Amino acid sequence: MEYETTRNEQETMKGKGENHRVKKLILFLLVLMGLFAFPVIKPPLFFLTLFFSVFMYIGLTESWNLLGGYTGYISLGHIAFFSTGAYTTAVFMNRLGVSPFATAILGGLFASVLAAFVGYPVLRLKGAYFTISSMLLSVVMQLIFMNWEFVGSSTGLWYKLLPVRIEVNRVIFYEVMLSLATVITLLVRWVERSKFGAGLIAIREDEDVAKTMGINTPWLKMRAFILGAFLAGVVGGVYGYYMSYVHPEVTFNINTSLLIMLMAFFGGCRTWTGPLLGAAVLSLANQLIVTFIGAEISRILYGLLLVIVIIFMPDGVIQYVRGMFTRQRIGAQL
Amino acid sequence: MKRRRIEVAAFILAISAVLSGGYSEIAAQPIKLGGSLPATGIHTETSKWIKQGYDFWVEDVNKRGGLLGRPVRMTLYPDQGTTEEAVAYYERAITVDKVDLVFGGYPATSNVALMPLVEKYGKVFIGMGAHMKSFEQGFTYSFASPPLMSDWIYLSLGGVLDDLIPRGDWPKSIALLTANNVMGLSAKPNILKAMEERGIKVVVDEMYNLPLSDATPLVSKAKGKGAEILCCLSFFDDAVMIMRAAKTLNYAPKLIFQQLASIVPAWMKELGEDGNYVINSSFWHDRLPFPGNSEINEGAKARLGMPAGPLFFGFSYSWMKTLELAVQGAGTLDNTKIRDYLRSNKFDLPYGKGITFDKRGLPDPFCYAVQTTGGRVELVWPKSVATTRFVYPRPAWSK
Amino acid sequence: MSLSYIIESIISGLLLGGIYALLSVGFGLTWGTMKVLNISHAVFAVLGAFLAYWFFVKAGIDPILSLPFLVVLLFLAGAVVYRLVIRSVTKAKDVIMASMVATFGVAIVIENVMSFFWRPDPRILKPPYTASSIFVGEMAISKGPLIGFCMAILAIALLYWFLHHTYTGKGVQATWQNPMGAALVGINPEHVSLITFGLSIASAGAAGVAMALIYAFYPSLQSVWTMFVFMVTIVGGVGSVIGTALAGLLIGFIIGVCAAFLPFVWVNVLLFALLLIILLFRPQGLFGS
Repeated sequence: MEYETTRNEQETMKGKGENHRVKKLILFLLVLMGLFAFPVIKPPLFFLTLFFSVFMYIGLTESWNLLGGYTGYISLGHIAFFSTGAYTTAVFMNRLGVSPFATAILGGLFASVLAAFVGYPVLRLKGAYFTISSMLLSVVMQLIFMNWEFVGSSTGLWYKLLPVRIEVNRVIFYEVMLSLATVITLLVRWVERSKFGAGLIAIREDEDVAKTMGINTPWLKMRAFILGAFLAGVVGGVYGYYMSYVHPEVTFNINTSLLIMLMAFFGGCRTWTGPLLGAAVLSLANQLIVTFIGAEISRILYGLLLVIVIIFMPDGVIQYVRGMFTRQRIGAQL
Repeated sequence: MKRRRIEVAAFILAISAVLSGGYSEIAAQPIKLGGSLPATGIHTETSKWIKQGYDFWVEDVNKRGGLLGRPVRMTLYPDQGTTEEAVAYYERAITVDKVDLVFGGYPATSNVALMPLVEKYGKVFIGMGAHMKSFEQGFTYSFASPPLMSDWIYLSLGGVLDDLIPRGDWPKSIALLTANNVMGLSAKPNILKAMEERGIKVVVDEMYNLPLSDATPLVSKAKGKGAEILCCLSFFDDAVMIMRAAKTLNYAPKLIFQQLASIVPAWMKELGEDGNYVINSSFWHDRLPFPGNSEINEGAKARLGMPAGPLFFGFSYSWMKTLELAVQGAGTLDNTKIRDYLRSNKFDLPYGKGITFDKRGLPDPFCYAVQTTGGRVELVWPKSVATTRFVYPRPAWSK
Repeated sequence: MSLSYIIESIISGLLLGGIYALLSVGFGLTWGTMKVLNISHAVFAVLGAFLAYWFFVKAGIDPILSLPFLVVLLFLAGAVVYRLVIRSVTKAKDVIMASMVATFGVAIVIENVMSFFWRPDPRILKPPYTASSIFVGEMAISKGPLIGFCMAILAIALLYWFLHHTYTGKGVQATWQNPMGAALVGINPEHVSLITFGLSIASAGAAGVAMALIYAFYPSLQSVWTMFVFMVTIVGGVGSVIGTALAGLLIGFIIGVCAAFLPFVWVNVLLFALLLIILLFRPQGLFGS
């Protein structure tokens, strides 16, 4: 009798668990379908541009988090890969007339080549030294691009415009960036649950121990770095086309790097949901504040947020909020 | 009964008041004009006069009955001179504020990204453009009237040399200091070519990133090479720093040429006596014998308390005047029709009569040379419009 | 190219290098003693420059005279930042990373507050002596950088004297070398940290005033100065005042030589590339251990 009850209980729990997972999946698919279908109701253009920016930051933050959150190597040079992608599509369009939608992948590839090349020496550095080097990469690249005629130096490069109405234009970019954000997020989620991801997390926990356990740490770090760079490059390639213009001071903007890091920390950099939430909330807030109040105010606010997050919510805002509820529950039980 | 009649009368009165008020409201619905302009940052000294020109034109056109019989209302967002902000504000003006027309954009570093944006949204964009490369991208909605075309300023330096200085007295060498942005890059090649053609040796050819922190190394090089022309393809603050460094190092070339800095009122304020006898290129001057200039000067007197229109004031007024003529001429706010009207008609503007715009949106190439004399900006070239004696070589620095 | 021009360029570079040394000394101090990587160090230098500017423009007070007052003011600012941010950060598991990110936030906040209230327009501090030079034959040595350099050397000397010849200063050194031991002999570590951080920021402010005598400045210049601070500190070795001073002069020398021979725009690229190479192959610096 007891045995049966236990079996029943077990089966019920398992059933509940699966039920729960299916419910989550359905919810997720519904939201996704809603987002893809959004343009059908002919929303004001302003929303399409707003969401484009949100999707872009989701893609950038998730791809950053492979090395930043999972592995614990904070890079402030992610935008170098973003820019490589943007410039790749720009140059291909300018010189060969090829559409960026075809060359964006190429942009990602060039970015990964750069990552491989730079990552080899730079990933051997630890902590702060790595971060400073990554920042230097971005700064030096910007300076070089400002003086390199092939990429338009300080004049920049223009793209040929899509021969469609602005409404169609905005819808196209909305859907493309939404697709990219979805693919990137799912990819990062898959990595998190794979052996690859487990290895990265082991490195973050204690790199020396991971090494002694036989994990090939340099190779894993490289993979994370290169994959993150590839994804950022593809996003950049599309972004350039969206703006129809690239310029070193626009694409290599240090504030973007800062925002990406903040978004990951704010949302919680340990899982795939953190950057998603952080990017969605903060890029939305940032766009609205910049458009309606001012760029400086926005930067002051997210500078403060960075300080607050680091000191009070090192695991991200979700964990912090959850923590608040757990504590309450514990108190209630007493 | 009497009460009833009074009530009815009051009711009819009220209705007619509302209707007449409402009707005049509809007739007077304003035309919305939007955009952004640097209010702070490295463009402050030039863009404050651009804004005055805009304000003056809006006031002026509304006094004359507005555009197409409707008052013009402008929404000009202040930006910091960065490209991203300009794009964000223009996109907001177009998609959120739903403006009918847009301002022509200043400076060039913002226009590079604004020109494709307005092309996508189909808005006529009359301003300074972003130099020649930007006009070769096939944009159809952008016009420059007048263009502040860096690619053409070699005409003024060359003209001054050819027509105003005897061959035997020509300076023998030139130091070229160029700000690393689209403005400097567009000006440089043609100037280099112009110097080569005249046999003037280019002894220093340096670029610098903005904002410029220290001009001493650059000027030191120019002095070290004994360059007789100091040519600054600079904005305002950097040009002032270069001048100061030249004075500090006691470097006194025969001719100093500036791209835009010395035509700004703050130039004399910053440099005092040392701001004089500097040659600058310009695409308009308040003493040019063209229609609209008397209005500009009167406006300057009334609004700014200045004897004549400062140059950037005149530029922006011309841009708006061109838009005004095009809208009135096309008789509609349909930007595509306005664009087509601009391409197929002649215009009499403060910088020239019978101006036509080509496929790229540009008038025929031209450029004036001005010289700061006695604290004022005076025309020196072409000789036919000169308003002052050309001074060469440049006198020594003041003590 | 004449020899005098090259020497002029080198002297210019050395003067600048001395000021970079002062700018970096405080940064190395907090990194070495508290393991705090203070990315906001340079923004306080810009703040110092702005304050000296306002004192000069609004009250006509020469920067040389306002300097002592500004140093005190910035020491207090440093103490405030310490209490609000740094103290919490030193309790983190990975102090270096946490301090780096947190001070990044502080830097952004202060930079944009300055930008908001004082505008991002470039400013020039121009007391009359900055408009003239001392002439040695054909060479011109601008007075502005010369005076800035003197300020810097004086400040570095004072700092060195403080660290090695005063009780508090020796306490700072003791805490750095052996925190446990220092605490055991009764040195209050928090006290020491507060003073160290305050001094660090004060020295940054002083360096900012000196910089302002050479450079035009604006709020976002702080990120450029931050790169130079890294460079000098890493080359000189973290925490060594003498090492940092030498590194500053060395970098100034390199700047002077490069400016004489290279196109202007490539000087910075070269420097940052050099820094990258040093980070990769000799992160302890040229003079460090």
